[in-house]
Amino acid sequence: MGYLRLFGTMGAEASFREEDFFGREEELSALTRAALEGSRGIGSSFMIYGPPNIGKTSLLLKLARTLGASGGEEGVPRPFPLYFSFSQILSHPLALSQHFLQEVLSQLLRFLGDPRPSAFDPAAMCDRLTSFGVMGCREVLAAHERCTAEGDGLSALVNALSFPFSSSGGLFYPVFLFDDFQYTGKLQGVPEGAMLSILRPHIKSGHFPMFLSGSSPGRVTAALKREGLYGTFQMIEIGGLSTDSAVRLWGYLCERRRVDIPASLLSRASERLGGIPTYQRMLVEEIFFGGANVPDAVTFENLYAVSVTEGKINRYWREFFENTFPDRARRGRAIRFLKRVLCDLFPLDTMEGAISLMGASEEEGEAILSALEFKGLLKADLDQISFVGDPVLADFLYWAFEHGVLGKGTSQVAASIVQAKLSRTAPLPGQGGDHARRVSIVKELMRKWDLREVPLLLLDFGKFREKFGGKGLLEVVIGMEREAVRVRLPKVSSVSTGYRASRGGPRFDFDLVAYGFLDGDFSEENLVLWAVDAAVEKNLGARAVEHFENRCRLLALEKGLPDDRLRKWMILNETADPAAVDLASGYGIHLSHPTQLRLFLNLFGLEELEREPDPARSPGAEAPRAGKTLEYELVLPIKADSEVVAARVAEEVAAFASVDADTVDRVKMAIIEACINAFEHSASESGKVRLRYLLAPDKIDIFVQDDGKGFRPGKTPEESKKNRGWGLKLIRELLDDVEITTGPDGTVVHMVKHLGADPANPGAVQQGEGGSASPGES
Amino acid sequence: MSPHKTIRIREEGDTLVVCVGGYLNSLLGEEVEKAVRTRLDGGGRRILLDFQDTRLVNSIGISFVIGIVEKVMEREGRMAFCGVSRINSDLFRVTGLAKYVRSFETEKEVLDFLAGNA
Repeated sequence: MGYLRLFGTMGAEASFREEDFFGREEELSALTRAALEGSRGIGSSFMIYGPPNIGKTSLLLKLARTLGASGGEEGVPRPFPLYFSFSQILSHPLALSQHFLQEVLSQLLRFLGDPRPSAFDPAAMCDRLTSFGVMGCREVLAAHERCTAEGDGLSALVNALSFPFSSSGGLFYPVFLFDDFQYTGKLQGVPEGAMLSILRPHIKSGHFPMFLSGSSPGRVTAALKREGLYGTFQMIEIGGLSTDSAVRLWGYLCERRRVDIPASLLSRASERLGGIPTYQRMLVEEIFFGGANVPDAVTFENLYAVSVTEGKINRYWREFFENTFPDRARRGRAIRFLKRVLCDLFPLDTMEGAISLMGASEEEGEAILSALEFKGLLKADLDQISFVGDPVLADFLYWAFEHGVLGKGTSQVAASIVQAKLSRTAPLPGQGGDHARRVSIVKELMRKWDLREVPLLLLDFGKFREKFGGKGLLEVVIGMEREAVRVRLPKVSSVSTGYRASRGGPRFDFDLVAYGFLDGDFSEENLVLWAVDAAVEKNLGARAVEHFENRCRLLALEKGLPDDRLRKWMILNETADPAAVDLASGYGIHLSHPTQLRLFLNLFGLEELEREPDPARSPGAEAPRAGKTLEYELVLPIKADSEVVAARVAEEVAAFASVDADTVDRVKMAIIEACINAFEHSASESGKVRLRYLLAPDKIDIFVQDDGKGFRPGKTPEESKKNRGWGLKLIRELLDDVEITTGPDGTVVHMVKHLGADPANPGAVQQGEGGSASPGES
Repeated sequence: MSPHKTIRIREEGDTLVVCVGGYLNSLLGEEVEKAVRTRLDGGGRRILLDFQDTRLVNSIGISFVIGIVEKVMEREGRMAFCGVSRINSDLFRVTGLAKYVRSFETEKEVLDFLAGNA
């Protein structure tokens, strides 16, 4: 019979270079361990999945090399790594089974020490294997030939996979490394999942570790579930390389191509490419062939943008989409849809939502999603879907949309990609991590809700403040237990984390979007969405509430949700403007203060992660002086730098209330500014400025008083010229309340800093006798 | 001279490193401005202001820094900060300085940035 002359499993094995392989130490170690345990009959099976070209094949081939070099211990069988790719070239089961047998014979003989045969002679190869103690090869071959002659593809496949993979003397055992396994679901005339039925005895034996790799875990896991094999498999998701490994790969690639990229750029470059080795290779090749120099970050970003918009990366993804969606209209629809999800980060995790976002018929929508899943760009688990997080693909989609739909020139798109990358600013010091921690704890909390009822007050800052403002924590806890008005929380089925970055404009998604159901029945009628933002600003303003509400409206519109099916929740960082609280209440937005959140977390047995709770500073908790207000006074001469003395005294006063360093810094700065104002503007005859510090359990009041001629708020022309006149603006930014009373007898600046962000005392500026200054004036 | 005034100046390659210590008020601001101006007049274009040891800042000090930034921009120089504390970072944000000058954690990061490596 005519066997196909295909050696080396589509060439993947031949093209693999071990020295090109970097990172993945953890995965390799787990897989190697599981493979070696096959010698004792306790080998595990793994499903390895991830997006296209992430490096799954390289991982399998690296594992094959590692296993091939292992063993040799007396009396312990050696693992025989059998790598086979089920890629679509052979979609007919007869051709596939022939190729499979050919690979087994060839790889096994090489494993046993034979050189690559000059001619392919299956009978002779079987005889040779018999001499190594592998019995029954001829019989399998004969049965396979019979099935082939009858055109019975399925039986031929069963025969090929029943090959005696081990020797009679227990010298070795096979480790199956089956690549592109999702293609087994596309074999002509073979039902989906049949391949797993055939492999079932091997999988169940524990002697034959089975590693299936593919980009479409949803299909394979569904088949595994149908076959009752799901529990037997461990799942490993392959993502980008760690920064460390990616940087090492850059080093290797650059050295091989004599390309010079400054070391300081490499970690940023790795991040830009999502740690995906294929992109690194493409970019280094492109730099090499273009003879380009990469002296700095801007040049790198330019080269990257050119590659995405007209170079190798662009060609790679264009071909990918052309192959996946040969129909032009469908391709356009798929690209537009993916652009919204990956590039605009539209929060989406259900099939129904995806189809409605596409605006296609259900049939076409499903076909597009199915193709995307097959190619590994989306992952489906039950009804929940998630999309690949590939930053380079997102940029390609941006190009495809801007160029193909909006008709912008390639260089124009490249320029805007560069600009977006360069202008992405890091969060303020200490802000990013703190925000991320708060979001992650809320995410964990929501996952635990599970239809429990909680006091509504936990979600209503205005009423909570009204009822418990200034009360001790214990009193609050007891009061909460007695609360009769309760709300039933949904059972949350998924919570996706949003993002805060945006392409130069305002953000338009949420920190968290949760999908939940109002009772145990996961039906359309019971679906409810929770959109959640954790405020970054310390004092939530009305504008932020307005912006949140607008985004919620957009979400409701796009999801087609009635009002009662979208719940809106903002979590304060410290406190909120009264106007913001009123506005939120008007819009039906839930607001929770950190204290409410803490109580919420306690109800669900969760610890607060964001900050160490400081009993002395929690709202209403016992203050260090048991409710008494301490008063200090200081008289300063109007003299250069004497404001520093006032600041030092403030530091000492604040120490009595265990005030945190940041608050102390704010108070000190504000005092310095108020003193300088008095020194410069009062023209006081006494030449003195009087300060009063009042330390109460929940706030510090500071009065800075002079007996001068009063002053007019606002920058003088001289101040504007010298970039001066920031004093009052800074004071207002630094502290919670500022009140200025000025007149012919002098000026008093009264400043308040609330301690522990007391919910009972949001900032409010009162009118003084002589009129108050507006922000920005000095 | 103010007891709070400390300023240290050195060169790292072609970057002028100005370490601002103590209390950044009008006197110290003036000193920093003078050092930077001299450098710009001499043809230097890369300036690093290190606020690691800055204990206090007032609005007049900030106005000098704004003036310095304007001068550097006029001469098409490059400038960055490092060691900016949380409170000072807030002040720089409020006064708009943060929009024009990038801040980094360490001096090395600034030097890389100014050299065009970051």
